[in-house]
Amino acid sequence: MSDLAKTALFDEHLLLQGKMVPFAGFAMPVQYKNGALKEYTFVREGGAGLFDITHMGQARVTGPDALAFLQYVSTNDVSKLEEGQVQYSALLNDAGSFIDDITSYKISDREFYLCINAANRHKDVAHLLTQAEAFDVVFTDESDDTTLLALQGAAAQAALQPLVDGDLESIAYYKFAQVKVCGVDGIISRTGYTGEDGFEIYIPNSSAIATWKQLLANGAEAIGLAARDMLRTEMGYALYGHEISDAVTPVEAKLMWITKLDKGDFIGSEAVQARRISGAHKRLIALKLTARGIPREHYKVFVDGVESGEVTSGMHSPMAGGVALAYVKPEHAELGELAVEIRGKLVAAERTTLPFVRSNVRR
Amino acid sequence: MTIPADLKYTKEHEWVRIEGEKATFGVSDHAQEALGDIVFVELPEVGRPLEAGEAYAVVESVKAVSDVFAPVSGVVIEVNGALEDAPELVNSDCYGAGWIAKVQIAEGSVELLSDHKYSTFLEE
Repeated sequence: MSDLAKTALFDEHLLLQGKMVPFAGFAMPVQYKNGALKEYTFVREGGAGLFDITHMGQARVTGPDALAFLQYVSTNDVSKLEEGQVQYSALLNDAGSFIDDITSYKISDREFYLCINAANRHKDVAHLLTQAEAFDVVFTDESDDTTLLALQGAAAQAALQPLVDGDLESIAYYKFAQVKVCGVDGIISRTGYTGEDGFEIYIPNSSAIATWKQLLANGAEAIGLAARDMLRTEMGYALYGHEISDAVTPVEAKLMWITKLDKGDFIGSEAVQARRISGAHKRLIALKLTARGIPREHYKVFVDGVESGEVTSGMHSPMAGGVALAYVKPEHAELGELAVEIRGKLVAAERTTLPFVRSNVRR
Repeated sequence: MTIPADLKYTKEHEWVRIEGEKATFGVSDHAQEALGDIVFVELPEVGRPLEAGEAYAVVESVKAVSDVFAPVSGVVIEVNGALEDAPELVNSDCYGAGWIAKVQIAEGSVELLSDHKYSTFLEE
């Protein structure tokens, strides 16, 4: 663990008996004293769950070409984005497959803020720096200076409001504001990865501990990576390295809704267009076991007794039972008897719709 | 960490209570603590013959899948069906209501440790 990076909150995690594990080069808490299930329940049942997700990367793009640059490197239509709005998007390579999925924050036509995945940070930054050479922009990796907290659950707003100099009520879903948090400039967006109402809070490392402690004092409870993964899987949200990777395009991953082929040329657009015509190599589905068991990542999925694909994310949902996202052959996306192979036995499953449990985000 | 004196333990962190020709199996406090929240237990079928050291059950926590190994050989005569609906009993009462299976003992055993020896083993 000694070669792992530590967030500004490392000692706070230890104080709360966080079980630290290596994650994307960081030592991060997989769970705290009470365990993942209690943490999960706290977030789902009205609490304010506090997550240190500082391992994720942040970058800023500024300059006259900022909008044109982002239009070219990302899949979603950045011209539709209003100032103060957040957009879910992706970076593709020339083959149309994923470099990463990202969120873009529009500060102005000349300034955007990006949040990228921890595991992909250096790859993304290298790619974006190379692409930035052709545009009149300055691209800055701000990851090392930034602490990112997520505060998720029905009580999030009440716990956060006393720390902030603006009215959180005015920040709608997928909107953000540049505000003072504990007296220091930060960004707060009404976004998250749990399916609950809540916020993501970008602050300088220097105010991480004060903000963290204040939120705990306001009733928030620390939540680790295990519960975070449960909450995200129940929503069916894609995770890089699982549902999306450099082996699939948005056509396979059901992410054409963030891939706007009509916006003009962007990296990967031709390949995605070609894939759309030639057809998906495989299709992402949501399934639910109809017998007992837990479908887990890499377990094989069978359709009509023949191997068709594998689970990309699976879990025991306290509310929905054994649920999973899985890739299957395109012809099996809608038809055929599904089963998941668990320790050599086929366990019956059925297709279902996402999210696996009700989303409480504030739309 | 509890290690009752009336049980024997294995280096795989199972416990066994031997009463005449019968034995009860479970996992130790150390095991349930290390596994974290247990959300699923796959039980063996009654009548299944087990060799000492054989994986006879599976416990799954939020993040991990772990085999549970038989401390002694025997034939399964009873399983703890309560774990199907309440796998968390393994966490809350690993030496009591969280027992996993009972066997009719046959010949054969893995190395069994007394509570003292198991305690020393855990410290090493």
